[in-house]
Amino acid sequence: MKTLKEMLAEARQVVPEQGPAEVKKRIDAGEPLALIDVRDPDEYRDGFIEPATNISRGFLEFRIGGAAADPTTPIVLYCQSGLRSMLAAKVLKDLGYQNVTNLQGGFQKWAQSGLPVAKDRPMNTEQIQRYSRHFLLPQVGEKGQRKLLRSKVLLIGAGGLGSPTALYLAAAGVGTLGLMDGDVVDVSNLQRQILHTTANVGRSKVESGTEMIRALNPDVNVIPLPTRITVDNVMDIIRDYDLVIDGSDNFDTRYLMNDACYLAGKTNVHGSIFQFEGMATVLAPNQGPCYRCLYPTPPPPGLVPS
Amino acid sequence: MLLGIGEPLIGRLLTYDALGMRFREVKLRRDPKCPLCGEHPTITDLAIHRSGDAAACEVSGNGHAASAPAPAGTLGAKAGG
Repeated sequence: MKTLKEMLAEARQVVPEQGPAEVKKRIDAGEPLALIDVRDPDEYRDGFIEPATNISRGFLEFRIGGAAADPTTPIVLYCQSGLRSMLAAKVLKDLGYQNVTNLQGGFQKWAQSGLPVAKDRPMNTEQIQRYSRHFLLPQVGEKGQRKLLRSKVLLIGAGGLGSPTALYLAAAGVGTLGLMDGDVVDVSNLQRQILHTTANVGRSKVESGTEMIRALNPDVNVIPLPTRITVDNVMDIIRDYDLVIDGSDNFDTRYLMNDACYLAGKTNVHGSIFQFEGMATVLAPNQGPCYRCLYPTPPPPGLVPS
Repeated sequence: MLLGIGEPLIGRLLTYDALGMRFREVKLRRDPKCPLCGEHPTITDLAIHRSGDAAACEVSGNGHAASAPAPAGTLGAKAGG
């Protein structure tokens, strides 16, 4: 009869292990790996590692196909302390998966190392109804909606570009929206800045916008930032967000946001308009160009209106 | 971008002409001489934004990195937001 110790030793011979820091590096580098949490659903719900799928140990052989399309897909398994997942990883190797790694020390070691953990609150009935159109999209589904609810997006500017962006992100259920703008609502804004209303003329755009967003979707946690972004506050502010949307209205800010996002590794969704023309691109650090690659120098003052 | 689905506009500029009701796409490339993200960056922190004048934006560069010909009249820098 084999002992548990022997089974684990056997598994260790064919399953490599990596510590939390190494696995985090692989995830951050964008490696297309399948991260699987083999604990029970209630353990997963209490806290898990992004972007893990929960396939509990008992269902592993039956559901792994959905998470890992072919035998060469890199897979990383974890459980609470690294033992259940070690045995699970051996099973996957026996099934023919070639690239299976066990997270050494499991979720416990990950959390103790101070690495980020995610926690989902189950969606209530109203949310299920509200986002039902997302659930119908195979590319989104419930998992995608949870991801949106966990996401944090920073909007620089609550004006012409920030307005529709704020409204659509809020409607979609982006869980945290930072709204940054130092201006007040002017009646001339209302021709296009649909985040604001006539009743709010004279009020801070951030106050007005926050109210509108909360009325549209109370799930959204709005972080009001009723001030201009400056070289002194930018790095602290962008730090906590997953994505930055630059809808600012002057070149100084554009270049500041570009530099700050690049230095902080934040993706900057960049949009701009002039009269009947609009432009959009995504400035992703080291994946594509930055604003300075496109426009090394700003136009002479007065040539292009802000 | 948040869901990790689809093809984000990384390396692409999408332009919209509301009068002509036309969308256009321009391929964008990184500039190896870019002072921020190029091979020999000269901007490594936000110090130049402290100078208080337009110098923050005035870095010697070498023109556009767009590889497709710019649609006439539309590819100027726009600040409007």
